Parts: sequence; C-alpha cells; structure tokens
Amino acid sequence: MRRVTRNISLPLSQIRRWPEFGVILAFSTIFIFFSVLAPMFFTIRNLTGIFTIVSELGIMTIGIAFLMIAGEFDLSVSSVYAFAGFIFVTLGNSINSLLALIITLVAAGCIGFLNGTITMRARIPSFIATLGMMMFIRGIMMAITGGRTVAYHGDLIVPTLLTRFIGHGFRPSHVWFVALTVLFSLILTRTRYGNWVFATGGRKEVARSMGVNINRVKLINFIISSLMAGLAGSIAINRFSVANPSFGIGMELEAIASAVIGGTFLTGGHGTIIGAFFGAFLMGTIRIGLIMVGAPAYWYMAFVGAIVIIAATINIKLRRLEM
Amino acid sequence: MQRDLPLVRMANISKWFGAVQALNNVSIEVRHKEVLGLLGDNGAGKSTLIKILAGVFPPDEGEIYFNEEPVKFSSPKEARARGIETVHQELSLVNIMTISRNFFLGREPTRRIGSISLLDKKKMDEECSRVIGEVGIRVRSPNEYVSILSGGERQAISIGRAMYFGAKLLILDEPMTALSVKETRKVIEHIEEARESGASVIFITHNVYHVYPVADRFVMLNKGVKTGEFGKEEHEAEEIIEMVASSEGVL
Repeated sequence: MRRVTRNISLPLSQIRRWPEFGVILAFSTIFIFFSVLAPMFFTIRNLTGIFTIVSELGIMTIGIAFLMIAGEFDLSVSSVYAFAGFIFVTLGNSINSLLALIITLVAAGCIGFLNGTITMRARIPSFIATLGMMMFIRGIMMAITGGRTVAYHGDLIVPTLLTRFIGHGFRPSHVWFVALTVLFSLILTRTRYGNWVFATGGRKEVARSMGVNINRVKLINFIISSLMAGLAGSIAINRFSVANPSFGIGMELEAIASAVIGGTFLTGGHGTIIGAFFGAFLMGTIRIGLIMVGAPAYWYMAFVGAIVIIAATINIKLRRLEM
Repeated sequence: MQRDLPLVRMANISKWFGAVQALNNVSIEVRHKEVLGLLGDNGAGKSTLIKILAGVFPPDEGEIYFNEEPVKFSSPKEARARGIETVHQELSLVNIMTISRNFFLGREPTRRIGSISLLDKKKMDEECSRVIGEVGIRVRSPNEYVSILSGGERQAISIGRAMYFGAKLLILDEPMTALSVKETRKVIEHIEEARESGASVIFITHNVYHVYPVADRFVMLNKGVKTGEFGKEEHEAEEIIEMVASSEGVL
C-alpha cells in the first residue's frame, strides 16, 4: 500500500494549478492599472458602483457557467433578464412585490425548462435552441409593449431585499452575488451533483454508463441558468425602477465571456464558479475603468473581445499543460 | 455444488434493431471464477449481447439468470447493483476529470453536515490512492487528471474500480485495443488478479491472441448467431482464428 502525497516543494506549480489563477492575475493587473491611471477609480463610491453592475452580470454568469460546465449553452439569458423585469413590474404594480418576484422567478425557471426540453427532445444544439428562444422572447416583448418603458410603483419589500443602498454604496445585490457564488461553488465542487455536472459536460457517454442521469442534470442546469438570469433581471429592474424591453441586449455574450475568462471551457466539462465571479469582475472593471480614463465607451467592446480571445487561448494552453 | 452452477446464464437471447436481427437465439453461460472469451468480428453481435447483460437495453426474447435466479435489468445501475461491472474500451473514464472524481463517479461517498451531504473528499482520495497503488500505477496524486494516464493505466484503474465496488462479473469490451505489448501483458495480470479474488470475467475481442493466454473457455459469435463454444484445452489459438475466419466465409 502506497500513500500518494502531494508535492509541497513546488508551491508555484501548485498555485498555477488553481483553475482561478489566470483570471485573478488578469483581474488584479487591470485593477491596479486603472487605479494608477484614473485618480477617482480607487474610491469606495466607484468600487461599490462597479460591484453593483458586476453583481447583476455575475449572477447571470454563475448560471451560465454552471450550464456550460454541463456542456450546454444558454443564449436566451439576456431576454429572460429583460422579460423578468417586465413581469415583475407588471405584477408588482398590482400585487405584493414578494409574490411578484416569486412568480417572476417561476416564469424564468419555466423558460429554462423549455430550453432544456427543446434541446433534448428535438436533439438540436442548445446554441440554436436558445438562440431561437432569445429572439422569440425579445420579439414577443417588443411586440406587446411597443418598445415602451414601464415604471415600477409598487411596494418597497423587494427593492429593499435586492438592491436599495445599505450604506457606503453597498447594496443587498452584492451580498446575493457573493452568497450565490459560494453556494454554487460548493454545489459544483463538494456535492455528488457537482461531480455529475462535470462528468455530463466532460463526456456524457461515460457519465451515462456510470449511472448518471445526464438529461436530468442538463435540464436542472438549464433551469438554474434561466432562474439566475431572471434574478439578475429582477435586481436590475428594482435598481432602475423602470423596465424596458430592450434591457440586456448583448448581455448573454458578456456573461459567456465572463465565464470563459474565468476558466470555463466552451466545450464543457471544466470550469469554476469562483472563476466566473472574477470573470464578471474583470468585465465590470474594464467597463467602468475605460470610462474613467476617458476612453470612448466603444472601446469596451474591443477590449472585451481581445480579452476573451486571450483567455480562451490561455485555457487551451493550460489544458494541454495539465490534462 | 455452487461452483458447478453458472454465475450468469443468458438463455435463447434474440434482439432486433428495426428490421435487423442483431442476435438470434444466443445462449451463453459464465461459470464462477471463469474467464470467458467472447469472439467474433465487428458486427457479430458481441457488444449487443453484453449490453443486454449490462442492462443497457432489454432482450426482445430470452431470459437472463444470475446465480440461477431470473433477473431483468432496466438500467446499467441495476446490473451494477448485482455486481455486473462493464469496462468499455473508451467509455469508462472522463479525461478532463481527476482520477479520484472518476473513480467514484455515480457512487460518490458523502458525509452529512447537518442536513446537507457533501462529498467525502478525504475518503475518495484515500481509497482511490490505495487502489491506484494496488494496480501499480505511479501518479503523484489521485487529483491528477485522467488525461495524463496511458491507455493501459486507464484500463487498470477501470478494472481496479470495478473490483473495488465488488464486481462478481467483470465485462471487458476490447480492453486491449490501442495498447502496447507491455500494457497488454499488464491487463492480462489484472484479469488474473480479478479471477483470483473471486470474480468471473467476460472478455470481448476480435483478436484471439489478446484473450487466449487468460481465457478458460470461448464462445464464438457470427452475424448474431453462436457458431462455436469450446474449452481452451480443445483448440490452439491458430485453430480458433481459422474457425473465426471460416465462419466469416473467408475460406
């Protein structure tokens, strides 16, 4: 009998093996870069402002990353985000806002269920199924509302729970984001279900032959992805107090980019929620940082594009190195 | 006594896929602590037969007896619960997962903290390390990725895993495809160890030389029909090859 011991004499190679190492390094670099370049960047007011937009993007990213690790995509999250806001405002204006939020989240979950069912029953790639769903929901919303903005004037229960200031620019959504990151990270790395998620995305035939119900895993993850997008949308709507059917356009790509920057494989089977957390932070930092150094907003897209390509390249290299 | 009764008996198994008959009235049995070589060319029905035994799909006709008790498996999980473990040539391990996570996939040990149950990582790593050591693989940690392992090492871990979970019947589906000569010899050793510890083995291959050193008996399949069944003492390897070839209509 031979005990296999960890090699502790090589701390650097140990650190490099953390899947989050790359994204944390990139985030720190960019964070320091903007702190030095923009004098107003490193202020509590600005940092909590970043935290606010990152929380909304990040909650969506957690769901996306969780689904991508199981080997599927969800492009419809941006539409679910706007759709959730709309349902919440419409309901919240006439009934108790907590009830409105619950109904909103159930509706979002149903869209996820539909995404999963369509993908698996029709046997089409989820990329296509959810692309269709994204356009379908957005189109319906536009058609029904005529593109008009609706204002929220219901009670303050949900706004207080989700996003009203709690001091120094902090909001409850920050706490939700951190809590959900911890929760989903635990589920992924420390539960049986998490192991099934990795296996389903890593090689679904193996997972199936080892007794994992891969369709169930995928369906649950589709629902989670939609639920998280619905929650992100609900937070945003409560922050703005208005809903517009054009909210969140293009956000699905930002969320996927955040997940990929955080080390999630586009091909599934590998990724971390902590990485997704920092991936979202990286995106938010770039967005605000560029504005603060006075770069035109258009540069954001170009910057993010470049970073996604670099991150994906590094992911592949790491994979060759470690796997 | 018990020893003389077969561990598994598949009687008069037939299976159709649409209009194609994959198996036609095939009967096989595996005795206790026996290595059965299941021979036949591609498309002979070998894989279909063992998939039925492993619970992947049911037969259209025929019965399966486990220790002379009729059984019906509706999923691989049920077959596994009886101690029927399959090691597929390419379908046993996820490359981009760690050895330890693969080892316990679908059967992860947990420990409860309050009302939530978490993976028992400590147990997973310790047990996995032990088995890795026993099958003679040298890796730094059970948390290495499977992709760094050679084909032979993967087979060794798959077999070690099956035995760890108490396999009574080990089904090996082409376990030596794409292995080096040295690794092939290793796999033979693992099979012998499995038999020593009380398991029966079905070894599926189209290459007689792979199975001949370790098999006790052979069954030959061709186009869904059983074309031969004999003990090792009855024929030399060359004769068996001749038989496989002639039943293919090569002569």
